[in-house]
Amino acid sequence: MPDLSEKPGLLFVLATLLPLAGFTLLLTVAAIRWALRPYAAESPTADAVFKALGGEVTGRGPAYVALGSIALAFLCCVVGFVWFCIDAAHMHHLEHDIRHYEAEHAEPHHHGPGKAKKKAKDEPADEAAKEKAAKAKADAKTKHDQNVGDYNRLTKNWEGALEWARIFPSKDNVADTKHGTLLTLGFRIDMLSAVMFVMVTLIATLIHLFSIGYMSEELQETVEDHEVHTAHGHYHRRGRYGRFFMFLSLFCFSMLNLILADNLFQIFVSWELVGICSYLLIGFYFERTSASNAANKAFITNRVGDAGFIIGLLIVWTYFGTFNFQEIFSRVRCPERDADDVILINEKPAGHSIVRAKTDRVLKTGRFVKLDSNGDVALIFPRERIMGNVPGHFHGPSSTTAVHDSPRSREYGFIPYWLLVVAGLGIFLGCVGKSAQFPLQVWLPDAMEGPTPVSALIHAATMVAAGVYLVGRCYPLFTPEVLLTIAYIGGITLFVAASIAMVVTDIKKVLAYSTVSQLGYMMLALGVGGWTAGLLHLLTHAFFKALLFLGSGSVIYGCHHQQDMLKMGGLFDKMKITALTMLVGVLAIAGTPFFSGWYSKDEILVAAFGFSMTHPQHFLLFLLPLVTAGITTFYMFRMWFMTFTGEPRDEHVYKHAEETPWVMTTPLVILAIFSVGVAWGWPPHDPEHSWLGQQLHHYSQPAAVDVDFKASHELLHGTPSYHTMVGMLALAVVAIGVAFALVLYYYNVLDPNEAVEQFPGVHKFLLHKWYFDELYSALLVRPGLIFAHWCSGFDTIVINGFVHLVAKWNMFVSYVSGLFDKGIIDGSVNLLADVSYSVGNWLRNVQTGYLRSYVLFLALAAMAIWMLLYAWATAMGGP
Amino acid sequence: MFFEYDLLLMTLCIFIPSVFALALLFFPSGSEEYMRWFSLTGTVVTFVISSFVFIDYLRMLDNNNDPALMGAGIKRADKKTTLMERASAAAKAEAENKPFANDDLHARFPWISRFNIEYYIGVDGISMAMILLTTVLFVLSMIASWGIEKYVKGYCMLFLILETGVLGTFFSLDFFLFYIFWEVMLLPMYFLIGVWGGKNREYAAIKFFLYTLFGSIFILIALLGFYFTDVQDFANKETLNAKAAEVIARNPALKKAQDAAKNDAAAKARVMAAALTKVEIHSFDLIVLARTGAAAMEWMHLTDTKARDKFLQKIVDQRARDGNPTTKEAVEKRMSQTFFTPTFQYVMFLFLFVGFAIKVPIFPFHTWLPDAHVEAPTPISMILAGILLKLGGYGILRIAYPICPWAAHALAWYLCILAMINIIYGAFAAMAQADFKKLVAYSSISHMGYVLLGIAVWPQTGEQYWAWGMNGAMYQMIAHGISSAGMFFCVGVIYDRAHHRNLDNFRGLYEPMPLYGGISALIFFAALGLPGLCGFVGEFMVVLSAWNFSTPEYPNAGKIFAVLSALTVVITAAYILWTLQRVYFGTNDAYKDYPDITVRELLCVIPLAILAIVLGILPALVLQWMEPHVTFFVDSLMQIRT
Repeated sequence: MPDLSEKPGLLFVLATLLPLAGFTLLLTVAAIRWALRPYAAESPTADAVFKALGGEVTGRGPAYVALGSIALAFLCCVVGFVWFCIDAAHMHHLEHDIRHYEAEHAEPHHHGPGKAKKKAKDEPADEAAKEKAAKAKADAKTKHDQNVGDYNRLTKNWEGALEWARIFPSKDNVADTKHGTLLTLGFRIDMLSAVMFVMVTLIATLIHLFSIGYMSEELQETVEDHEVHTAHGHYHRRGRYGRFFMFLSLFCFSMLNLILADNLFQIFVSWELVGICSYLLIGFYFERTSASNAANKAFITNRVGDAGFIIGLLIVWTYFGTFNFQEIFSRVRCPERDADDVILINEKPAGHSIVRAKTDRVLKTGRFVKLDSNGDVALIFPRERIMGNVPGHFHGPSSTTAVHDSPRSREYGFIPYWLLVVAGLGIFLGCVGKSAQFPLQVWLPDAMEGPTPVSALIHAATMVAAGVYLVGRCYPLFTPEVLLTIAYIGGITLFVAASIAMVVTDIKKVLAYSTVSQLGYMMLALGVGGWTAGLLHLLTHAFFKALLFLGSGSVIYGCHHQQDMLKMGGLFDKMKITALTMLVGVLAIAGTPFFSGWYSKDEILVAAFGFSMTHPQHFLLFLLPLVTAGITTFYMFRMWFMTFTGEPRDEHVYKHAEETPWVMTTPLVILAIFSVGVAWGWPPHDPEHSWLGQQLHHYSQPAAVDVDFKASHELLHGTPSYHTMVGMLALAVVAIGVAFALVLYYYNVLDPNEAVEQFPGVHKFLLHKWYFDELYSALLVRPGLIFAHWCSGFDTIVINGFVHLVAKWNMFVSYVSGLFDKGIIDGSVNLLADVSYSVGNWLRNVQTGYLRSYVLFLALAAMAIWMLLYAWATAMGGP
Repeated sequence: MFFEYDLLLMTLCIFIPSVFALALLFFPSGSEEYMRWFSLTGTVVTFVISSFVFIDYLRMLDNNNDPALMGAGIKRADKKTTLMERASAAAKAEAENKPFANDDLHARFPWISRFNIEYYIGVDGISMAMILLTTVLFVLSMIASWGIEKYVKGYCMLFLILETGVLGTFFSLDFFLFYIFWEVMLLPMYFLIGVWGGKNREYAAIKFFLYTLFGSIFILIALLGFYFTDVQDFANKETLNAKAAEVIARNPALKKAQDAAKNDAAAKARVMAAALTKVEIHSFDLIVLARTGAAAMEWMHLTDTKARDKFLQKIVDQRARDGNPTTKEAVEKRMSQTFFTPTFQYVMFLFLFVGFAIKVPIFPFHTWLPDAHVEAPTPISMILAGILLKLGGYGILRIAYPICPWAAHALAWYLCILAMINIIYGAFAAMAQADFKKLVAYSSISHMGYVLLGIAVWPQTGEQYWAWGMNGAMYQMIAHGISSAGMFFCVGVIYDRAHHRNLDNFRGLYEPMPLYGGISALIFFAALGLPGLCGFVGEFMVVLSAWNFSTPEYPNAGKIFAVLSALTVVITAAYILWTLQRVYFGTNDAYKDYPDITVRELLCVIPLAILAIVLGILPALVLQWMEPHVTFFVDSLMQIRT
């Protein structure tokens, strides 16, 4: 067991493994329990053990195990986070010092004759000063060495890796035995993952707590499922309390593992695992056809994205020979400085940019390229040296550089530029699936079939945000084309989803579409250079959307599983805590100043504004999120008004509605607090100074972001008034949204139904969710099934038909040859016919025969084969 | 020679099942329960012996670690442990009259000396994995066989004989021996389907029998074709010396000359040379044939006379060093045998490929599989899918590729296409099935496509890519052995209760049978290729390697294959999830009182579930002892090219 103080990063590993331990425990107990169940009636021992492990329906035990493990994980994360923040600040300073020293004390080399001359001039200075200078230099060197040592030690503290699968190709056959031979599992903590860890474990803990109350119906021996009708009325089944928490634990492990990962492969593994947990939990009420359909849809749609992800992985693997993020990024992006740490190669390609080149000529030693911003290949740089560990042979790409077809880690390589684009698009397709972006957004609303805590945890706060997280993680790998695609996909998604959310009446579906829309905001932000803004929105959104979902869960629980807002109304009096906390959530998502959502959304809009200012042809990327901000406010307030205010629309629901117990309201209150304050900073009125945002910006934002969006960032920094302007604009739009909601759903000045009648076509179009389901069914699902039946039919008709024909023909031939040519075997065709004929005869006997005859047959057949072979061998006479 | 320990151990492993089968003859009728226990004991004993072989094998690897890697703190078997090197070492030891190595898991014993046929067996990483899979699955499917009520004695005997056949095939290093065992498998399987099968069993059994026999004939022809080649330049020098001595003994003139040259080394050498001109070596030895195949590939790649001359000189020099000299003309004459022509290589490779492809099965030779599976009883389906299909893959890897590498390389593009058809076509066809077993059978076809793809993606450069593919193919065979056996067992469990397999008539099995449902879901997810379970590892490795496949004519071929196989994961997910939905989800009043899985059934399926998880999480458990030999194999093939 390694010492924690030597490797505090293990705290996060521990946090990841704790839920897995919980899951394993629950699974083992459940398996033993169910194995004993059939024997409980016969054997008293079995019965006793069966009962001891929970009997037909477990008590709250599983919930405590799951809650305990995730709460412990949360504690680990908090400790780890604080520890990491201290270390990160320290490392930041060290890095600064080291760079400073390296820049000052760089050794002159053959590229810098000017410097060398300067040094020569200094020589005739007086001895004392010289000695002093030498001593100072030596001191600085000692300090520097110490700094480097500290820095490397601190970095190592937060990373680690295990070998997972490995091959050892021969040196004769491959140029670089390190290229593409090792798959690892590992972790590397940076600010982004540390913050994500805290967020996920905190929200998961609260949702576990909430679920203890929400799922309590499942504690009964028999649960009546009102949604499933059988011949004898409603369907009755055993409670599934334990199973719910078991799956939840598995999910927490998978999600944390996704954040922990330091390589794409591990992310892909976790990606699939969270997918399967999502599948299991969406299909939690698997008796309902709608639930199992939704589960299938979710997993299969995600697999479409995963197919893209795999393609991205393949390209990365081929050209970089590794999945490790650090290594990929340092090789695809131009290093900041060359080995001598003096000459910034800014004059040529900027540091941290993707460098394109044109293939110049091919020589025996390699291929030569010319740097060219429209070139057909992108350079892959030699593996970057570890800081402070100067190898001294790295001079940046010159105008013509030799590169290799299969890049070796110590040499320049290249990747066809289109493949780099495809790799980025592929990985992004995975993110599109997971984060329910257009055109794969269709699964998320259906996923609301799962229990509400699941919707809150998996389909709002964490798993669906994994796509955004991965885009943020892989940012340096993305070319401008990919980033633009990301921005547009985000833009389209946020608008499409928001438009549908306006007409939906199921309270959870409103939230689902809102989630899709908000994820679109994050994608858009990442695509237009608002890296910090997008990921900050991920964090704030996680809190307020979890709050909103749990709030809706509380409403649904309070209303005895009524989800339709058309049956609600006036619930404010009945459930004040829920209503008020949800109002906090609504205000946060709407972007009310000083609520967390405001900070992140404002930043997103600013980034989008900057981008559309520098790229006027992409003005939609600012217009869409701006307009949608108003729509968001409208539908969120619509939801809140329809649920909590006005006259009750359904007396029955209203009469039985009641506030939920404390286990459910406590998480709401805590989440509400975070939804307000999680993004605060000093001064609070400036979104740019959000503390969380600052942490992400300083410690985690890839340097590549500033390089790729230099123009728009400079524009925004140059004109601070743009911030204010965009902020005001957003507030105005939000105000319009609120006004519409107030007019239509609070003061009822206008009847919403009448408003709808004005635009029947649009309303129908939105109600049918833009007809995506119908389109996919007609274009993909049906043709797929038809093709499947063709394949199967081809087998039975064509191939088997042919085989049967051959068999019949053979029978005929053997019959004829039997008449004319008895006993003569010549040619394999006839042999085949004979065998088939005789086998037919054997079978007739088999029908009536005895066991002994089979064995006899076997022996005889074996002997016959032997004799035949022997006879043949003798006949041939041998050599 | 009999007391060579590893020969004894491996022989025991092969024949113990048959001994138990013979002993079963003496059981009186009415003692069915004892017969079952006795047969189970037989399979367990075989498993134990195979694990002894495994332990010896690990020990052998341990004693021969790669010193260069040891320096870097990595334990990995050295090239010395490949069968090829062990065969040379053993031959050398024999020539020096040293005692046989007891621990090299490589043993030969003359059998039909007239035709140079040997009882020649041995183990390396490739066969070891298959042998372990076989012995484990036979134990488990014997447990699954408890429900067989008809002719228990006959069933158990055939079952055990089948195990001997399978194990013998995996152990054989002599092509003839391989073929015998290959045929030995055929009959028991035929009866096991034809007698103990379902309604349409005769049709299925005949179809299985004829298809396989059809394939066997091709293998037989290839076997003979190879035998007619004089392979003396690639045989062990000891065999050659012995043969020369034989010639001398039979030829009075030479004998006289030899006697005369009692102490004169030069004269002796002259006699030897004279004798050697009369020697021809024909062999079924797979290792000798592999050497010959490699030489054929190299020879056919050499186009200019100078290079060919150099090649011939190399052989002449080698033989001079070995003490059985020959002339360049003689070697050249031998190199002009049909074996060393493209046509022969093509045809023989195709023959071998068809023979093995039928077993895999590869489209369009696959239609026997769904029928055989549907009709076969559950344990036999497990064996069929879990092991017999692997024999096809194993044959391609062990025999077709080493002996005909030239054709394998030239045809790689077509093999990949066939593999892709298997993957995609199998997945789509599976989706259309209404019969549960047929669905699983077609999923096998799809999954075995990955095996062929991994083997076939011979890249132009970059051995590591192919090494992943080959290792992935091997891993996929193991994983599929586990998951498909598990799937067929799961189908069997429900068939025993519902007595039908119609997917549209199930629904709602999860609620009455939660444990069964959970285990089934796990095994189906393993087949779906979910990370953390065994199916993912092999598929992922294969797809990784497929991307880098290219031919000079189609430089982007591999990319297309990889993209298509990546897209197939969608179809795979669709048909497997759809199956889960149709069978386990929903509600069904008719089945709501079904008893959950019993302890006996659990004993059969839990090991599979555990293996599925363990192999999914820790592939290194298998790779660390399998990977060296697979990668060396790739290495040797890649080196021929250059």
